[in-house]
Amino acid sequence: MRLPGKIGMLTLGALVLCAGCGSTIAPSPVASSRAALPPAMSLAESAATSQATWAVLSMGAKSGANEFWQLFLLTANSQQWKLDTPPDVATNGAPALAGLAGPGLVAGVRPSLYLSYSPVSRTSDAGKTWSAGPPAAGLASVPDALAATPGGSQMLALSKSGRVASAAATSSEWRGLVTERSLAASAAGRACGLTALTAVAYATAATPLVAGDCGKPGVAGIFAGSGSSWRGAGPTLPAALSGTEVRVLRLVASSSGTVTLLQTGTGSAARLVAAWRADSGRWTLSPAFRLAGSDVRSAAFGDAGAAAVLLTNGRGATIPGPSGAWRLTPTVPAAPSATLALPASGQVDALTAAGGTLTVWQLDQAGAAWTRAQVVKVPIVYGSSG
Amino acid sequence: MPGMNSGININDPTVVAAFKTALLHQGLVAALLFIVLSLAWVSVREFRGTRPVGPQRDTRQPEAPARRVLRVGFGLLWILDGILQAQPGMAVGLPSHVIKPTAQSSPSWVQHLVNWAGTSWSYHPIQTAAAAVWIQVGIGIWLLLASRGRLLQFAGLVSVGWGLVVWVFGESFGGIFAPGLSWLTGAPGAALCYAVAGALLALPAGIWRSARTGAVMTRCFGVFLVGMAVLQAWPGRGFWQGEVHGQAGSLTSMVQSMAALSQPSALADLVSAFGSFVRADGFAVNLIAVLALGSVGAAFAIRNPRIVRIALIALAVFGLADWVLVQDMGFLGGLGTDPNSMIPMLLLATAGYLALTPTPAAAGAQESSQPASEPAQEGQPAGTSAFPIVDPATSNWRERLKPANLSGAMAAASLASVASAGAIGVILLGAVPMAAAQASDAASPILAQSVDGSSAPLNSPAPGFTLTDQDGRKVSLASLHGKAILLTFLDPVCVTDCPLIAQEFRQAGLLLAGHSSQVELVAVNINPLYSDVSYLRAFDQQERLTSLPNWLFLTGAPAQLRPIWKKYGIASETAPAGSMLGHNDAAFVIGTNGQLRQELGFDPGPGTAATVSSFATEIANAAEQALKQ
Repeated sequence: MRLPGKIGMLTLGALVLCAGCGSTIAPSPVASSRAALPPAMSLAESAATSQATWAVLSMGAKSGANEFWQLFLLTANSQQWKLDTPPDVATNGAPALAGLAGPGLVAGVRPSLYLSYSPVSRTSDAGKTWSAGPPAAGLASVPDALAATPGGSQMLALSKSGRVASAAATSSEWRGLVTERSLAASAAGRACGLTALTAVAYATAATPLVAGDCGKPGVAGIFAGSGSSWRGAGPTLPAALSGTEVRVLRLVASSSGTVTLLQTGTGSAARLVAAWRADSGRWTLSPAFRLAGSDVRSAAFGDAGAAAVLLTNGRGATIPGPSGAWRLTPTVPAAPSATLALPASGQVDALTAAGGTLTVWQLDQAGAAWTRAQVVKVPIVYGSSG
Repeated sequence: MPGMNSGININDPTVVAAFKTALLHQGLVAALLFIVLSLAWVSVREFRGTRPVGPQRDTRQPEAPARRVLRVGFGLLWILDGILQAQPGMAVGLPSHVIKPTAQSSPSWVQHLVNWAGTSWSYHPIQTAAAAVWIQVGIGIWLLLASRGRLLQFAGLVSVGWGLVVWVFGESFGGIFAPGLSWLTGAPGAALCYAVAGALLALPAGIWRSARTGAVMTRCFGVFLVGMAVLQAWPGRGFWQGEVHGQAGSLTSMVQSMAALSQPSALADLVSAFGSFVRADGFAVNLIAVLALGSVGAAFAIRNPRIVRIALIALAVFGLADWVLVQDMGFLGGLGTDPNSMIPMLLLATAGYLALTPTPAAAGAQESSQPASEPAQEGQPAGTSAFPIVDPATSNWRERLKPANLSGAMAAASLASVASAGAIGVILLGAVPMAAAQASDAASPILAQSVDGSSAPLNSPAPGFTLTDQDGRKVSLASLHGKAILLTFLDPVCVTDCPLIAQEFRQAGLLLAGHSSQVELVAVNINPLYSDVSYLRAFDQQERLTSLPNWLFLTGAPAQLRPIWKKYGIASETAPAGSMLGHNDAAFVIGTNGQLRQELGFDPGPGTAATVSSFATEIANAAEQALKQ
């Protein structure tokens, strides 16, 4: 074969090879450095005070411009949940809640579509009236991205960029407290091997708490701030749970102190531990709850330290407080979005949402079955955000 | 894919009318160009007193049949493609209905590249779509008319250039980087065949008189077909199954998607029936395809003319069947831009076959770029030029551009050469306005007009207001007297329209940078709950408006704001269940004298980069008009 022919053959051969390669390239496996940690939780949640129980669920479409997160309220003197989504802002991003004393609440809407920062609003009268708080940097996609002191005079926010900032209720701006990077570089952060921030809460008005994932096994990444310094403030786990990485799933303030939910291990080795922090800084740990291959889908907190989780297998588990034990609930009816709720009355509710319908289920006295208690039709305006 | 006007109806009457008008105007200019060139040519020849004397003998070689097949075949194909580009929906539809779907299965780098081209098209849809028409028609005419010499070689090179542009940006490299590559569905891309043909036409004419050319062509073509057969047979690529887990296989889905396009019902039924056949007997169909491709490819690679002839006939039968049953003739239904790969592929194969048995060179004949029937003046021997033709090798460009030399060259040119010059003019007719438009960062305002219609002229005093700006300063309308004002109403916590409108204003501000002291861009807060200046600042930061020196975002207490909304006809309404505040989108142009000049519908539509830029152009133009009034 002469030269032009060879060149032509080579060119065509290369073309065919390229085409073949192009058609057979398989995606390379992505190495996961976080394999030991459980998946992120849903942003559906519930929080309660002595006078009000709030719950947030995703409704409408599964995602995108027609997914609208809705806020529901159950007041202490009512048996009926009602829609109480803050007005005049699109909730395509899930609201982050920070319960206040009484029927008050601070809600920060996470970024969505073209909105990259988080509008903040607050109510002190169970949603009858709302006022705007200072706009926050885009809140992180974790349930406890926003916290407030019981009276609401101070707020704490965790942004998507890993920055923790605080603001006075009367202020129009947020003041940076710490960043994921600076905390990771601190002595406390190095001791934990901090890899990501996952929650903020107030232990007291003067003591902000920040939680994160630790790379070091057995360390619960909870840090307490004092001025510009931060120290490790998490509970010490029993030796049986100290061999695996710990994720702080939730960190919230309640009237009886700070409550946290910790998950250790994954898969069949996964355990859930609740811990309560007294004002002295001392933690009380719950018995370890075996997750049996499930993960925590959403969590709820009662006013006096009670906690509940809904698992990915549909079962729920509740614990009444520091001295209690975990108790399984029957399987919650399946729905795209769901959370348990722990009103002050002591009942256990399950809220499930599908499309524009919220269904409230109540656990019977024996804890053996869910009974449909209420159906709320939500007038979602589809297409209003897109 | 962003930036491709996917939200605008491809048959939008505003855009379609503008496209038709542009084509009509440019068509008239093209006709005029040909008329002027013809008149000039005839006049120069008459003025110089030249006319043919006696019968002329064409001393040049006849055109090689293989070359003629390529030249005429691809010339006609380019013209057909140009006509297809003139479909009314092409201006808006090509990026979103042709480019985007073609790139969808390609790797992300291809999508980025193609997206860039699609966005560029979307910014100036009329000029670019019209350019595509005239460039392709021009190349086609040029190939048909320039039968020899450098003119044909240049035409071939232009065909290579434009063919590669179409192949890369319009066909996403013919899908060679995407999975599912198959000769049956058009791989490696029709436009690549155009480019290959152009490259062959750009070769010197002498090469076509060598049998080696045909040998190289047929062998390359044969190896290519064998490669395609291997790809077709490769396990795991979905061609052996007509149906996979209840889903249509690769070939079935292609045929079914073609059958679903609008076309004559008889053809749709035929293609649909074949789709069902492929679904039921995918293995057999693929086996036939692999065997046919492999055996025809092997026959071409052997290079024996008799075997190649038989293979060519087989390829024609097989290819035409595929063209009808799988490729659905390429251009029927939807927004077809060409007849797909099979016809150009057959033209290349035919040329290769013809080149195997080249015409021997005639004694005394020569390949020349000079005209075929060059006239002789009286007394001049036939076949020699009577005009002062300047030798390009020995003269500089100044010499060649002298009027006498130019007119001499023109008088000496053949009709085909003059017509070729006209074809080049047609190409430039499309390319120059497109290049001029693409040089601008701002999109054509036609997109904004297609979304919201034309603006409403006003002439009344602008309702006054005194509010607080994003920096906490009091600002009144009266304090802005003497400036042109672009006024809109925005919700600082809006998730859709308001950020887009803000971007339109931001880009308008950048376009009006030279007038920043004379034009004020003003937004009034429309949200009664989020009315604190901190929200204005957060919004400004989000939308990168803080760097605009003439940007004002104004707010006040709801009691202050509501009367202003009312006076400007803006409704603000709380919607239930997590919906954002409802309000109408509008922009007003206030003249330097405080009079309302225009109200522009300002629903941002699909919110693509092109539509945002288009609205920006529209309001920037409106502001400039207001400054002149």
